[in-house]
Amino acid sequence: MNSLIRSYGKGLTGIFITLTAFWLLLLIILPQAFMLDQSLWSIDKDDQLGMKIDRAYSDLGLLEYDAQQATGDTKPAVQAKIEALKVEIATLESQETDPPREYGLQNYSRMSSLHFSIFVKSIFYALAVTVLAFVVCYPVAFTIAKLATPQRAALLMLGLIIPYAINELLRVYAWLMILDYQGVINSFLAWMGVVSFADKTWVPFLEYPGSVFVALIYAYVLFMIFPIYNTVDTLDKNQLEAAQDLGGSVFLTHWRVVIPHAKPGIAVGCIMTFMLSVGSYSVPQIMTRGKSGDWFSQLIYRQFFETQNWNVGAAYAFSLVLVCLIFILIMMKVFKVGIRDISK
Amino acid sequence: MRGKDVRLEDVVMRFGSFTAVQQTNLTINAGEFFSILGPSGCGKTTILRMVSGFIDPSEGRVLIGEEQMNGLGPAKRPTALIFQNLALFPLMSNWENVAFGLEARGVDKAKRRDRAYELMALVGLQGHEEKTPNELSGGQKQRVAIARALAVEPAVLLLDEPLSALDLKLRQYMRAELKEIQRKTGVTFIFITHDQGEALTMSDRIAVMKAGVVEQVDTVDNLYAHPRTPFVATFVGENNVLEGKISDLQDGYAVVETQQGAIRGINQDKATVGDKAMVFVRPERTKLLNGAALDNTFEVDFERRDLEGAFVNLFFKTDTGSIIVHEANLGQHKELEGRAKIGFNASDAIVMRSGELSDE
Repeated sequence: MNSLIRSYGKGLTGIFITLTAFWLLLLIILPQAFMLDQSLWSIDKDDQLGMKIDRAYSDLGLLEYDAQQATGDTKPAVQAKIEALKVEIATLESQETDPPREYGLQNYSRMSSLHFSIFVKSIFYALAVTVLAFVVCYPVAFTIAKLATPQRAALLMLGLIIPYAINELLRVYAWLMILDYQGVINSFLAWMGVVSFADKTWVPFLEYPGSVFVALIYAYVLFMIFPIYNTVDTLDKNQLEAAQDLGGSVFLTHWRVVIPHAKPGIAVGCIMTFMLSVGSYSVPQIMTRGKSGDWFSQLIYRQFFETQNWNVGAAYAFSLVLVCLIFILIMMKVFKVGIRDISK
Repeated sequence: MRGKDVRLEDVVMRFGSFTAVQQTNLTINAGEFFSILGPSGCGKTTILRMVSGFIDPSEGRVLIGEEQMNGLGPAKRPTALIFQNLALFPLMSNWENVAFGLEARGVDKAKRRDRAYELMALVGLQGHEEKTPNELSGGQKQRVAIARALAVEPAVLLLDEPLSALDLKLRQYMRAELKEIQRKTGVTFIFITHDQGEALTMSDRIAVMKAGVVEQVDTVDNLYAHPRTPFVATFVGENNVLEGKISDLQDGYAVVETQQGAIRGINQDKATVGDKAMVFVRPERTKLLNGAALDNTFEVDFERRDLEGAFVNLFFKTDTGSIIVHEANLGQHKELEGRAKIGFNASDAIVMRSGELSDE
């Protein structure tokens, strides 16, 4: 803080700190806190409430009529009944307009076994996507960083970035067209005579979770490649040559020299890919079109926008956040990297 | 461990249109400490990489112990390379670094650990086995690199200027150390350097390179006493140079007409009358005249006196350049001024046909 003031002066330092605080508060703390709060309460709505209010009003009408008819000593008793009924109506009405919140973990514990199995399945799918993305991206990142000549590395990089100039939805739709029943691959197979459109013997790629995997990997490939590329790029080429000179096989060299060096990048790449794929809504939505099971992200969407139950939706969403946090902690433990290494 | 000889037969190395190494024949004897000396960009590292197997020559053959090496990768050759920046693996402990070559050969962990500890003892690093390279000093890192290279029991150890990153004292110490390790193991050492002092103190023989050409291969003493080319004469040690034309020949000697008059020296190139020639004479064989009779004498302007501890360098100016006289420091010549007469014997001077000098 003091050193900041010394190097930038009070004015600029003030701006820095205000902006950072603004960012922390508005973009990180506030939405999460809101979501957490939403997830922790529910409304036990009384289905009879409307009817009860109606009945109370009709009782009130009757009582008011009674009051007009009443004489002498019975009048105060009827008046008292009217007052009591008015209080009851006010309570009922306040319950309707501002229903009481019941705080607790019920939104979490009430997840049905079907939803829970989807939750677990989605985590496994996202893990599978992460592992597959790593398997695909590590060789690419290594090639660009160490094997390719500078010109070729630039071309490869460009080739990786160009698809990202296109909207993500379009990229997913492209895969849809490739994998569809009468899509590119099936058309090719039909042309080869392997399948027949007329008999509907096409390969139903879109009904396999693998098709979602493919589209997810394609969608998030850069988030895996760039962090790995960045760390591998800083590896001294002499270390590779030294390993080679000492007789190290390709596997041993990568296992003992390159991967340990690239650990922070691998951790970051895995974390990003996992978080993006476990939370991806559009990709499973478009790729499966309801033909194979839902992903958890789709469930959350439904809770918010179809069931209109924001509290359960928030609980589901927050469960996902927790899973991501746990995943980050596990990755840090497994790769023995600290927050500092990751933020590099 | 037993060293093997290395032979380059008609080796040429081209990168695109650039010829890094011109046609070269070189024989390095088994168990020899051999240096390749030259300025940066002269092709010495290219030769090293051809021997270690990272590149194959465009033409010619590389043989180690009579076996042809062309086409074999670095892993398959009986060589180990010590890199200029050492290229230790920073995330492994020192013993794991040393044992990497054994790990690559499938030696089990207990055995390779024992061997690594042995080798670290050989290079004097007991107690540092479990540390990582970054916890060691420059000289210690050097020794880890040597132990790591020796672990694969190479017949030829290739060293790519490994001392250049060290400070002067440590460098001098490591020279003796390297020489001692070479003697103990009997492995052929090929040492690449641009530092002639380093090459002279350690080597049995030296190859001097310039612009892709091996100018001279010789023992250390011969290289210093009998340089074959103007480049070698000025690159290895210091030499005073006088230029002129040959005017006369007398059995084995040539007389060169220079700005400083007629100078006589050994006619090494068998040059003939009329050839442009250079006379080379070492500063320690050039003398201030004080009564002694010398074959060649001339007058020059005194410029300055540099004290170098045990030695003193006297600088004189001629019309074409400068002349250095190198003497043991006995406290003399403190009041030297103006014109002085200097000279040297004809048997201490070498006459060569004019050629390119080292600009270092």
